[in-house]
Order: sequence, then C-alpha cells, then structure tokens
Amino acid sequence: MIELRNIWFSYIGNNYVIRNVSVSFDRDVIAIMGPNGSGKTTLLKIASCIYRPVKGKVIVDGVDYWSLSEQEKVKYRRRIVYVHEKPILLKGKVADNIGYGLRIRGYSRVEVEEKVIKIAKELNILHLIDKKANELSTGEKQLVALARALILNPNYLFLDEPLANLHLAVRRQVVEVLKKVRDEGKTTIVIATHDPLLALTMASKVIILDRGRIVQTGKPQNILNKYII
Amino acid sequence: MSATILALTWSIPLSIRMASMKHRVKSVIISVFNALLGLPTVLVGLLLYLIFSRSGPLGFLKLLYTPQIIVIGQAILITPLLVSLMYEVFTKALAEYWELALSLGASRGQAYKTVIREVSGDILTISLIGFSRAIGELGVALIVGGNIKGYTRVLTTAIALEVEKGEFNVAMILGLLLFIIVLSVILSIRFIKRGTQ
Repeated sequence: MIELRNIWFSYIGNNYVIRNVSVSFDRDVIAIMGPNGSGKTTLLKIASCIYRPVKGKVIVDGVDYWSLSEQEKVKYRRRIVYVHEKPILLKGKVADNIGYGLRIRGYSRVEVEEKVIKIAKELNILHLIDKKANELSTGEKQLVALARALILNPNYLFLDEPLANLHLAVRRQVVEVLKKVRDEGKTTIVIATHDPLLALTMASKVIILDRGRIVQTGKPQNILNKYII
Repeated sequence: MSATILALTWSIPLSIRMASMKHRVKSVIISVFNALLGLPTVLVGLLLYLIFSRSGPLGFLKLLYTPQIIVIGQAILITPLLVSLMYEVFTKALAEYWELALSLGASRGQAYKTVIREVSGDILTISLIGFSRAIGELGVALIVGGNIKGYTRVLTTAIALEVEKGEFNVAMILGLLLFIIVLSVILSIRFIKRGTQ
C-alpha cells in the first residue's frame, strides 16, 4: 500500500499546489479527477516518489520512503512505475526504450530481448520495436511508454492521462490492456484523468481533487453523477 | 581543444547543479553567467596576468607565458558560454529524462547517466561553439601567453603580429588556415554525431 499522510507540496515558496492531502492506494484501480491545475499530476508524482513533499509522509509498503537511505529508496521505488502524460522516449530504438527498466535492474541482454518481444506482442506493437523512437506517432509513443512500464510488472502503476492524444482504436486497445492488468489483481493502478468514461469503466474508487485538496472520494457512479455528469 | 575539454570538466557539473536548483538564487547566478558572455577577452587576459604574474597571488605557479596558462585562460573565457547554453539543455533534460529514469526505477547514478546520454549530442554541439570561441580569441593568448615563437605563439597571435608588421597577405593566409581548422573540426564532429544517432 502507498499512503500519503498530510502531504503539502509547492514548486516555489509558499504557493502550495497540494494542501494537506491524505490518501492511500491499495490493490485497486483508483481514478484521480479534477480540473486543470488541480494538482493531479503533482499528486501522482509525489505518490510515485519522484517529488518529495514539503510536509507530510509518503509510506510505501509500511515504510517512510523519504527517511530511507539512497540504496533503500531505489529498492522501494522499483515497485512503482509512473507513466507521463506526454510520452517521453529515450534516444535509440523502441526495443531499447521498452527494455530500459529491465537493463537498469541488471537483466541480461537475452532476458531483456525475450521480455521486450513478449510485451510488444501483447500490446500489438511488435512491428515497431526496430524503429527509432523519433519515427513514431504520439499514439505509438504512448503504447511504447505503456509497454516500458508494464514489462516491469510493477506493484503500483501510476498513469497520467493515459488516453490523452490517442486515436479511438488505440484508446480501446489501451483500456483492454489496463483491464487485463487490473483483472490479474497484482498491480494497484492509479489513473489521473479527465475522462469520466475511463473512470467509470476502470476504477472502483474516484478521488476528486480541486486546488490541491481532496474534495470528494467514493464510488465512480456516485461521484461522477454529482460532479461531472 | 584542451581548453574546451578543461572547461567542460567544470561546466557540465556546474550546469547540472544550477539546473537542479529550486530556489531563486539560480536565476541570479545564470544572469551573472549571461552577463559574463560579453566580457572582453583582453580583460580576462589582464585579470589572469595580474593573478599569475610574479607578484600575483598565484605567481608561485610560474605559469605566465606558458602554453598551460593559455589553455587555462581560454577555458575560463568560454566557461560562461558553455554554462549558459548547457544550463538550458540540462533544465529541460532534468525535467524530462531525470524524472523518467526515476519513474522507471533508476538509481540517482543511473538517472544522471541517462540524462548525460540523452543530451550528449547537445553537449557536443555546445562544445564546438566553445571550441570556436577559444581558438579564435586573441586577448588571453596575447597577454598571458606572450606570443613567444615556437612556444606560446598561436594562430591568432601570429595573425596579430603579421598585421602589425604590415604583412597582410600572410595574416590573411593564417586567417584562412584558422577558418579551415575550425570548419574541419566542426564537420568531422557533426559527421561522427550523425553516425551515432
């Protein structure tokens, strides 16, 4: 479980973009919704242990993450994967991108190749793996970023607007992949989204964020009726 | 080339440090580096002369009028240029690739390696700009190098000398040679860069 306790965060000075947020993510699909600038991305990055909160604690599997040594932090961080809204790909081939997380974990070249091919087949992007990253469309980049995350079998998967910039057919494909991951039940998925349909079809819990505060949590049907629909 | 490599050894970590700073001090520091871009090379030469002359604070090193002091001087001269340009590159790269590497489980060391790898092409291009500035400067080489024949005479000081002597044709030929050297280095590095992409 990842637990955020009384989190405050600001990029500069006292201009807090996250204000006293306490929330936990455990074995579920949780959708975080809210208007632009409400702090969804920032909250996801704090929960992914990328940003350090100004105040408050991030508890990962019972351990206060920011009190750990650098070596221990890496161990815990490797249970979590965050996927950016705008896919960021590294230079080189698609296969190198998908295998990045495995390489830094010390997997052999052969193991990486095998796993890359397996995940590429699952996501129907096998035809892309020898292409260079800069030759891909945005939708293809998004799929590659998702493959790069899923290949790691994370305990916690944080997705920032996973369907943004995607063509309808690709959206359906991504939703199917995420449903499969959800149904396997090994990964806690947290999705920041503007898309009520995605929240309704995927999530068992919705959190509404507004100006850095949680204003409502509950089942998607109840929440979305009140705030969105 | 030695001056560029020397300047890179401190400019890269300095730029990364500045790019990763969160507080407002960094905008003051980068403004200082931007302002230093316009510093006349003669003034840098004069400052170095005062520091490294026999009565100066570093006079005991006996570096004045040696090739080493020219390299040091040129490295100092191009540092504001390298830092100003690399700061922009690293600010963007840290926001993207540093975060990406961490989000995929990289250690800090692995994340730094990833960032450096991703911006290596930009660093190479910036280095070339620094190299062009260093090889073409006159003030530092003339004041702290002394233009000693066969020892500290470089192309720019040789050109200046020929102009003083009224040998304009020789000066023009040396200038052309300088241009060809810079162009060859830039073209070969661009060729290597394209091959590695």
